[in-house]
Formats: sequence, C-alpha cells, structure tokens
Amino acid sequence: MSDRRVVVTGLGLVCALGENTEQCWSAAVNGVTGIREVSSVNTEGCYANVGAEVLIPSEKLSGEDYDRSSLLCIKAAGEALEDAGYKITSENSDRIGVIMGNCVGGAVSIDKYYSEKKKGCENPHDIYRMTASALSNNVAFHYGMNGVTANIVNACAAGTISIAYAADLIRAGKADAFAAGGSDAFSSLAFAGFHALHALDADSCSPFNRSGGITLGEGAGVLIIESYESAKARGAEIYCEILGSGVSSDAHHITAPRPDGEGQMLAINRAVANSGLKPADLDYINAHGTGTAKNDEAEFLSLHTIFDENDHLSVSSTKSMTGHCLGAAGSIEAVLTVMAVKENIIPPTIGYAPENLETLKEKAGNIDFVPNTKREKTVNFAASNSFAFGGNNASVVFAKNPHEIPDRTNSEKIYVTGIGELIGKPNVEITSDDYKQHGIKMAFYRKLDRFSQLQLISGVRALADAGITVSDENARDIGIVIGTADGPLTEIVNFQKNVIENGTAGGSAFSFPNTVYNAAGGYLSIFAGIKGYNVTNANSIQAGLQSVCEAADVMRNGDAKVMIASGTDERTEITDYLYSLSKDKIELGEGSVALVLETESEADSRGAKKLAEVAGWACAHKAVEFGTLKGSESALEKAVNDAVSAAGITVSEVSAVCGFANGNPDVDTLEKDVLGNIFGNTPVYHIKDTIGEARAASGAAQAAQAARLLADSGNDYRYVLAASFGAGGAYSAVVFKRV
Amino acid sequence: MNTEICEKIKAMLVENLRIPEDELEYDSELFGDDIGLDSIDSIEIIAGIDNLFGVQMTGAARENFKSIETLAKFVEEHQGE
Repeated sequence: MSDRRVVVTGLGLVCALGENTEQCWSAAVNGVTGIREVSSVNTEGCYANVGAEVLIPSEKLSGEDYDRSSLLCIKAAGEALEDAGYKITSENSDRIGVIMGNCVGGAVSIDKYYSEKKKGCENPHDIYRMTASALSNNVAFHYGMNGVTANIVNACAAGTISIAYAADLIRAGKADAFAAGGSDAFSSLAFAGFHALHALDADSCSPFNRSGGITLGEGAGVLIIESYESAKARGAEIYCEILGSGVSSDAHHITAPRPDGEGQMLAINRAVANSGLKPADLDYINAHGTGTAKNDEAEFLSLHTIFDENDHLSVSSTKSMTGHCLGAAGSIEAVLTVMAVKENIIPPTIGYAPENLETLKEKAGNIDFVPNTKREKTVNFAASNSFAFGGNNASVVFAKNPHEIPDRTNSEKIYVTGIGELIGKPNVEITSDDYKQHGIKMAFYRKLDRFSQLQLISGVRALADAGITVSDENARDIGIVIGTADGPLTEIVNFQKNVIENGTAGGSAFSFPNTVYNAAGGYLSIFAGIKGYNVTNANSIQAGLQSVCEAADVMRNGDAKVMIASGTDERTEITDYLYSLSKDKIELGEGSVALVLETESEADSRGAKKLAEVAGWACAHKAVEFGTLKGSESALEKAVNDAVSAAGITVSEVSAVCGFANGNPDVDTLEKDVLGNIFGNTPVYHIKDTIGEARAASGAAQAAQAARLLADSGNDYRYVLAASFGAGGAYSAVVFKRV
Repeated sequence: MNTEICEKIKAMLVENLRIPEDELEYDSELFGDDIGLDSIDSIEIIAGIDNLFGVQMTGAARENFKSIETLAKFVEEHQGE
C-alpha cells in the first residue's frame, strides 16, 4: 500500500481570519468571523459592503512586484514549506511542483492598469500580472521549485481540484511532492460581478441558514502534499492521508447549480468510492456552503441523499467566517479540514440566531451542521466539497490513518479519435453557420464571449469528427481539459473597464459569468451534455499541449474513457499591445483546437477511426521570471526525454518533431539548440508559420499536426513528438505513435 | 407604440445581451422560444432600462418583460415618476 499513499506534511494559510494556519485555525474553531466592512474596493452605490479581506498590505506579503494573488500565495506557500521542513535543493528541486487554484487571475492588476490608463499613467509591466498563468510560476520561482506546474482555474472549485490533481500525479509517480492549493485576491471584478447577479448578502453570509447570498473573501491556502516514501525519507511529520477525489460537471447552467444535485452527488460519490469508503464512514464534511439559496438548497439535498444513513456526520461551512475566497476557497477549506482531522475538532458554521436553530433542526435531519460552536469528536475521515460556476463540482477525502484505496489505474492504450479546430491568423471568423451546423441555437450562443465561442465550436467539431454522441449512458465517462494562456481576457477587460467607468454598482450581470476562465468548458459541457471531469488549466502557451498530458493522466487514473483535450486563446487588444512592445514582431493568431482522446476498448467498441496513439507524455518546469525563458532549457530537455521514455522508445526512434518556434529569436534559438541536441537532423515542423502564435491553441494544434502526420499514408513516420513552451519555463511534450 | 423608446431598448438588448439585431423584432417573445432570455438577462434588462430612462423595473410583473413593445409601454407609463 505504501507506494500509493499520499500524505499532507505542511500547511500554510492566510485569510481574513489570520496570517498563518495557527491564527486562522484558532479563530475558526472559536467561531470568530473575518467578515468586516470592505476597504479595498469602492462599494459606493452597492447594496452590500462587507467582505473578508486580508489586512496585510501587498508589499508586506512578499517583496516582488507581482499581482496580489501571487503574493498571498507566496506567503502561504512559505509557511507550508517551512511547516513541512521541506528543504529545496538542486538535487530535489525538480521533484516538487506547484499546482494552484485560482478564479479571477490578476484582477487587481487589471483594475490598476485600466484605472491608471484612464489617467494616462499606466504601467505596461502590469500586463504581465493580468493572467492566472503567472501564479504557480511566481510561487515556483520564488522558492526554486522546479517540478510540474499547473494553474487550475475552475472558479470556486479550483482550490479543491488542484489538490486532487496533485495527489493523482504523485500516485502516478510523476512527482514526489507538490505545493498545492489556491489563491485569490479581493477584487472589484468579483465584487461588482456578484453584486450585479444579486448574489451578495447585504450582511455577513449565513450558509445553511438565511442563505441570502455570499460574502466575498480573499486569501491563500497551501498544502505540502507528498508521497509517503518521500515524507518517510525526509523524516517528516505527517498530518494526514489524502485519499480519493471526484470531479464532475453539472451540464446544466453557467452560474446556477443543478437543483437536483446530480453533479454534486457524482463528485461526492466518486470521492467516497475512490477512497475505498462508504458514505457511512465519513465523520466530517467541510461543505461548499456559500450561503446562496440555490447552492444551499442543492447541497442540503445532495448531503441528505447520500448521507442520511450516516448517524455521525458533521457538516460545516467555514465560509461563514472566511467569506467565499473563490479559487482559494477549496484550498483554505482543505487546510481547515486537515486541521479538523488532526485535532479532532470541527469548526462551526456561525450566524445562527436562537430562532434559526429551530428551523435548522427541521432541515438538518440526521446531519449535525455544527451551528455557532465547535464540535469535539474523533475525525477519522473528512471530505471537502467545492462547486463552481460553469457547473464544476469537486470533492476530496482526507483520512487520519493509512487506508487502502482501490487501484483504478487503466493501462489501456489511448488514441486520438477526433480533431476539431478553428484557428488562424490574424483572426478567425465565426459565423452563425458555424453554430447552425451543430444545432447550436441563438439563445445559447449569444451568451458566449469570444473565448467561449472558439472553445464551443472546436469542442463540438471534435466530437462530431470522432463520431461521438453524448448520451445518458456515456455522459459521466466523458471529460474535458482545456488549456489556455490568457483565458477570456477580452470579456474580463471589458467588464473591468465598465466597472471603472460606472462604479462597482455598474457591473454587468450578463458578462460576469463569462469572466471566469472555466466558463468556456462549462458551456461546452452544458451544450454537449458532458458530465465527467472538467478542468481548465491556465499555464501559458504550452497549456494547450499540457491539456493532452492532463487528459491522458485522467484516463490512466481510470476517471474517464473519453476526454476532450483542448487549447484555446483569443486575440485581445491587450495581448496585441504587449506583443507590439517587443522588438521582435511575431505574428499572433487565435483559435481553439480540440482533440478527442479515447481508451482502446471504448474506441474499439464503437469502431472508431484511430488517428494516432498517445504513447508517452510529460510536463516539466524550470522556473524563471514569468515572461522569460532563458535558463529553462533543462526543463524542455526533461519534458522531451521523459515523454520519449514514457513511450518506451529512444530518441532515435522519433521520426519527426512538431516544434513551437514562433519567430521570436529567443524562442526559436532555444528550440533549435535543445531539440537539435536531442534529435540531430530529425525533421522539425513549424505549424506556427501558418497559424501564427495562437498561444495555447497553437500548443494543441501541434498535437493535432502530429496525429495527422501519423494518420497520413504519404510518409513512413512511426513516432512524432510535439513539444511546447510556456512563459516562465513550463514545457510539455507528447509522443504520438502510428496506429 | 413609441418607436423611439422601442428602438433604444432594442439597441440596448443587442449591445448588452448580444442578441443578433436581425433576429430581434419589437414583438419577439424575449423569454420564450424566440430569443430565449433567462433570469440573468432580466437583471441586465432592469439595469439597462434604469440607465436609459431612469425607470425602475425591479419587482415589475413578468408580463412587462414579454417583448420590446411591453417594455416600451412600461417605460412610457412610468417615465418621470
């Protein structure tokens, strides 16, 4: 069992409750609220003005000139590393990676940039701080962690999915350890957005009680997660075990949860089953418990349906004290859940007046909702739930003692069975015919911003190309991984400009749901009816190819039979401007490319055409300053060598390479030097010559190009490798094999 | 029917709710099968009408939201209140 044990050895936490785990935990168990009058956002004209802000100014969090979300995360990660006693050395640095959850990216910097631009004193450096792609890189660079990175940008479920993914990668032997968690800073973007949706409570939020809306918070939670072997070798103290997790999609609505709780229950049931447990085994659940009527009703229903036979379950919503910290929420709650397991104390849900307790009794049934005061009891098994915009649900289980979990590894071959794309330079054109062709009605597509439009069309084209029809039978076994560099930046910027112009009370309810990076994946799941795994990773240009790696990881892990792996980025005014500042005029493109990956048995059962086998894949990161590459060559070398060796071949067997050169001399030289060293005279294809630097879409386009070369009988290639780079030193490589 | 008000409302719906202009008539059923608006869109309509005409539609009966015509009628009846 020991080789599958994943343990927590360090905790770091900063939120409105305090500046470290100890302070936050003490406040949480004592029912102290962090919710106060908002100070960092102008709430003039708003019906609500409370929030759960961290009272530490950005410059005191860490010394760098980064977005506040990165600084919060660096602070929490530092505490977690120290708590774990994890010394990063040149020998072990590439075995500890960073996977963080995030919702609003660099929203604080976007606000700052455009507010200053209005006055004519903007700082172009702030543009680098806008994307969520910078987060994990900044943390990795600060501490010299050189393992795999990802930024899980699934809105309010991000901080739970990041932990689940990190644990999966360790179990798969792809890393020894991760700093995993999430971070989000308090922003006018989120405040204006939830205000426009009338989703803010005018008073402190009151989950599972008044349920009058959320209270926003900010913070970061980081866990050091490692293999038991790694923890043992270091002599580290172990907090608890991480067991299984579950990730699902509602396929219902872009902001509201399914009223019947189907998606929530799928995530929770998967987490419980993947942990080798039954619902009756759980002692505590840290609920999503946002305090909106729709969330609380659906979650009540889900919890009652699954756990009514459990006579010892406690459930609490610590958001009643921390506020809703969006992309950090799951990670902050994970830290509190780990503490509950360690200390055998359950933090309460606060906010119940005496008369509310009577109503709670009726609604609670068999479940103890820990109203107002902590509960002391043995906590052997605990779960943390997170549900997000886009209909994403996630749940992860922690255990006090080692516990055998089922090995669901699926070692089948994985094939590319479909490709859908919409990519080009300088722009791609989308017409109503593109929607009509796939039966997408105006009432649906008019909601989408450009980023979501690109993603929806490539996704449905890929499914059609693969000949897959989503049905009640297969919907839960189909998943989505989307990679992006900059997400829906046009919609985010437009929303923010409007808030700067018209005040926080003037936010648009129509556009806000599209400002979350995972909206595109949400729309795709809603339209196509996909109910399985659904993750968006913002990790610079290479995220498009990393999506293939992550999708394949999910399938190996037994979590899906079919995955859509996609890379998507749009042309935006601001990225055009950023690239125009560079002396090297590279050609930008935009678009979305989606590949359908399928297990051998699934593909064979329906007689699918197989374009190529996904034979080996790997990601690597040598953290350098975000926006640069120099000094990260070793990570490209590692990603390529690891992918080749995972495919069970040697570099000499690779027939061709689909490269990432884009016309920037630094990028082109790095590719030429590293790949030239490894592959000698092997032919290298450069698809960006024709499609431009469409960032994550190009990364996925390289994978599509490799698969197509192998499906072509006009050459005798046997293995083709695709490799992609990301700003800050992230790389992915995938080896495809002729069928 | 006040076509000036209708035109302003139509432009607002096209701009704020990304409804294709050529598919939107004054009598198109906004929340029915024609255009398919939902509760989030109604928040945006309320904000848009307030911005354009200073007319509050919060809590107004559902039938007022039926089409551009009914919205215009409501605006006409409540303007300057």
